[in-house]
Amino acid sequence: MNKYPYYPGCTLYSKAKNLDRCARRAAVRAGFELVEMPSWNCCGAIYNTNTDDFAAQVGPVRNLAKASQLGERLVTLCAACYNVLKRANERLHATGFEQDRQRILDFVDEPFVRDVEVVHYLEVLKGLGWERLKAQVVKPLHGLRVAAYYGCLMVRPRDILKFDDPENPTVMDELIAVLGGTPVRFDFKTECCGGYLTVNRREVADACSLRVVDNARTWEAELIVTTCPLCQYNLEMAQRRKIAGNQEMPVLYFTQLLGVALGLTEAELGFEDNKLDPREFLKARGLL
Amino acid sequence: MGRKRIGVFICHCGINIAGVVKVAELVERAKKIPGVISALDYVYCCSDPGQKLIKETIREKKLDGVVVACCSPNLHEATFRKAAAEAGLNPYLCEIANIREQCAWVTADRDAATDKAEGIVRTIVAKVREDVPLSRLQVGLIKRALVVGAGIAGIQAALDIANAGYQVILVEKEPSIGGHMAQLSETFPTLDCSQCILTPKTVEAGNHPRIKLLTYSEVISVSGFVGNFKVKIKQRPRYVDMDSCTGCGICLEKCPVRVESTFDRNLTKRRAIYRLFPQAVPNKVVIDAEHCRQLQGKKCGVCARVCPAQAILYDDTERIIEEEVGAIVLATGYELFDISRIGAYGVSAVPDVIDGLAFERILSASGPFAGEVRRPSDGRVPKRVVFVQCAGSRDINQGVPYCSKICCMYTAKHALLYKHRVHDGEAIVCYIDVRTPGKGFEEFYRRATDEGVKYLRGKVSKIFRRGDQVVVWAADTLAGKKIEIEADMVVLATAVIPNPNGVELARRLKIAVDANGFQSEAHPKLRPVETLTAGFFLAGCGQGPKDIPETVAQASGAAAKVLAMFGATELYHEPVIAEVDDEVCVGCGNCERTCAYEAVKVDTRRGKAVVQAMMCEGCGACSVACPAGAINLKNFAKKALIEMVDV
Repeated sequence: MNKYPYYPGCTLYSKAKNLDRCARRAAVRAGFELVEMPSWNCCGAIYNTNTDDFAAQVGPVRNLAKASQLGERLVTLCAACYNVLKRANERLHATGFEQDRQRILDFVDEPFVRDVEVVHYLEVLKGLGWERLKAQVVKPLHGLRVAAYYGCLMVRPRDILKFDDPENPTVMDELIAVLGGTPVRFDFKTECCGGYLTVNRREVADACSLRVVDNARTWEAELIVTTCPLCQYNLEMAQRRKIAGNQEMPVLYFTQLLGVALGLTEAELGFEDNKLDPREFLKARGLL
Repeated sequence: MGRKRIGVFICHCGINIAGVVKVAELVERAKKIPGVISALDYVYCCSDPGQKLIKETIREKKLDGVVVACCSPNLHEATFRKAAAEAGLNPYLCEIANIREQCAWVTADRDAATDKAEGIVRTIVAKVREDVPLSRLQVGLIKRALVVGAGIAGIQAALDIANAGYQVILVEKEPSIGGHMAQLSETFPTLDCSQCILTPKTVEAGNHPRIKLLTYSEVISVSGFVGNFKVKIKQRPRYVDMDSCTGCGICLEKCPVRVESTFDRNLTKRRAIYRLFPQAVPNKVVIDAEHCRQLQGKKCGVCARVCPAQAILYDDTERIIEEEVGAIVLATGYELFDISRIGAYGVSAVPDVIDGLAFERILSASGPFAGEVRRPSDGRVPKRVVFVQCAGSRDINQGVPYCSKICCMYTAKHALLYKHRVHDGEAIVCYIDVRTPGKGFEEFYRRATDEGVKYLRGKVSKIFRRGDQVVVWAADTLAGKKIEIEADMVVLATAVIPNPNGVELARRLKIAVDANGFQSEAHPKLRPVETLTAGFFLAGCGQGPKDIPETVAQASGAAAKVLAMFGATELYHEPVIAEVDDEVCVGCGNCERTCAYEAVKVDTRRGKAVVQAMMCEGCGACSVACPAGAINLKNFAKKALIEMVDV
């Protein structure tokens, strides 16, 4: 079984345990193993609010240097970690950045053994071949209408991330189809969820998130999947605050939906950590 | 051969040359060049007195070689060679030494310029010493033309050529002619009905005794050279006998299969047996084999049973037609940029977000709602319509870099026609600029605003669905505000792109296309309808976005060029071409692989390269590529080149 060095990041150890656990278990079912890199530190996402750009680079570069000792690729899962690590990595190799590069490396004890490529879990899955994954599906989604919400961090800035079409990404839609669901085309795939505004301008963030959910509903989605813990939080919490009764649209991590189709147990899927419990809905659809 | 008596004429070109090069000094230096027996200067050699001076000097001094030191040979080589010929000299013994463009124009240093000019003159004198008399090659000329594409451009070019008395083969890939103009409702700025002004032309082209119309056909290859092209055309099987079909239309009612109509931009369904529109020329039906039940091996045969003329031919096959022509007009037309490629406007394919051609069909009396403005999704009359200009145009990130030229005007027309049909409706145009450089265009735009069309300056950032409405997010840059408009329908003025079939054909025929796929004219200002390949001419949107009047003007221009060629009694080819020394050639084929014009081929029987004189453009690439040195370009022989360098 192929083993990949894996960087989980802080949120996957706290608020987004369900994103992480499903990913690891589903990987095994899909035929590869995520090996967590030892003594990783903050990806650097939280420093982006700082004024000194260099401090923000040291964290991710140290992670990359350590990852270079483990292999050529580093797998990430959290959209923010993916974005920050990949951008830091690109910047390290950018022309015209040589002087700054040395200034950053002066703060990092570990040497770079080789160039390392930052990839997302979805890229690994796609790289294995959708047909191969399809063969592992034990509980097909029976046409469940799923809206894949990518947010901003997975696809922008386009020239650096080169992940997918920044206006119309489709990799998660492909995954949904492979799992037997119906990917729903909707207009807000990459619009803002409100991000950190939920801390100090909650009403603005909620409006952003509800717009995403409403548009998915307009296109008759039954469920939304995300890659980003912050998107997940905002989409669930905005609904919990604004919508009464049972009109909520369940929001799952894409790894949870993957886990459902690959037959993970309820304990492994971790729905108890979702802010909007999707279990009743999934049971009604015969998926749990 | 004794040493040539060479005359040098140095042109001042006003101050273009004389302002930098020290002409008097150059004259003195030129006199000292071996072989030069006369050196003179004149203020404008290209003027009549200038040419007279050259002619008189040739006669008086018995010159047998002339060098004119002046501007680029692209400009006046022909002028001076003609003058030399009039004085009895072989014109190919008259050469240009260009001391203007890369000499006088690029420096202010008079001494350096004079030195360089002397070097250039010495080089060309050396060439003239080696030059031999040449004469133009006479070429046979087939006075028939091929026109590829039968939209308004192709039809106009074909009619002009045919009406002047020559045969035309008009090839169209669709089952009938008329192109996009047949889809339009009314035309700006006069609002006359598009079909009403088009159909007299389609009928004339369809009935013309000198136009051979090949519909449902495509050009697959062209060989030969100007005046003598051999063309292969593939005619797809129509499964309907063109001679028997009367166009009665009974089959159209009985066919059980329904397919989206591309002519109606997928807003209606047509049958598997169909014609594009009721006034189609030729008015013959065609079976879409991909969707026909019978042809897909299922049980049907309805059309054959109901056809009173017994015109259905299920066993019809593809035909290859070969034609010989002297000139070719490419009128391959345009398509619209696909909405789904503009992420912020078209990710989810909202049904009430349509492109300009779809709105033309909605406005058209023969369209999906018989000319009433209704929305595609539910047939409701839209009370607020947003028109978005520059959807894909002038967008280097997601679209094309250029302006599509026609959208400002057709959007004004769309908004105006919408207001005419839905009096209480609101028409809002989101624009970046409004460009109206045409006769009556600005007045037409003014009419639209006067009649209540609202213009909002600002780019649209997003279009999405909310319930059964379409929401448009935009900026109003005049008010400095972000705005949200809830509309019933949105019409996108999507970018004009070259028809992909035309791009592919041009590449196959080695006709240059630009970075955007538009066919390149020979000169952007002075040769706008010719290509760099002799015998090929351009008309319509395949060369660049343009409206109907401009398309028709260009098509007539292309036809005039063809007629000028056909009007000549003989066609000549320049004699400066490659020649192979059979004794040296080993038949390796390097020349054949190098030639961009397919003019040199190895005769495998003899193992020698052979130059097809009429196809050789005299570029000299083969002569450089030949490892044995067996190929020389006439009057650019290797000895001459060495003499020219070694001055």
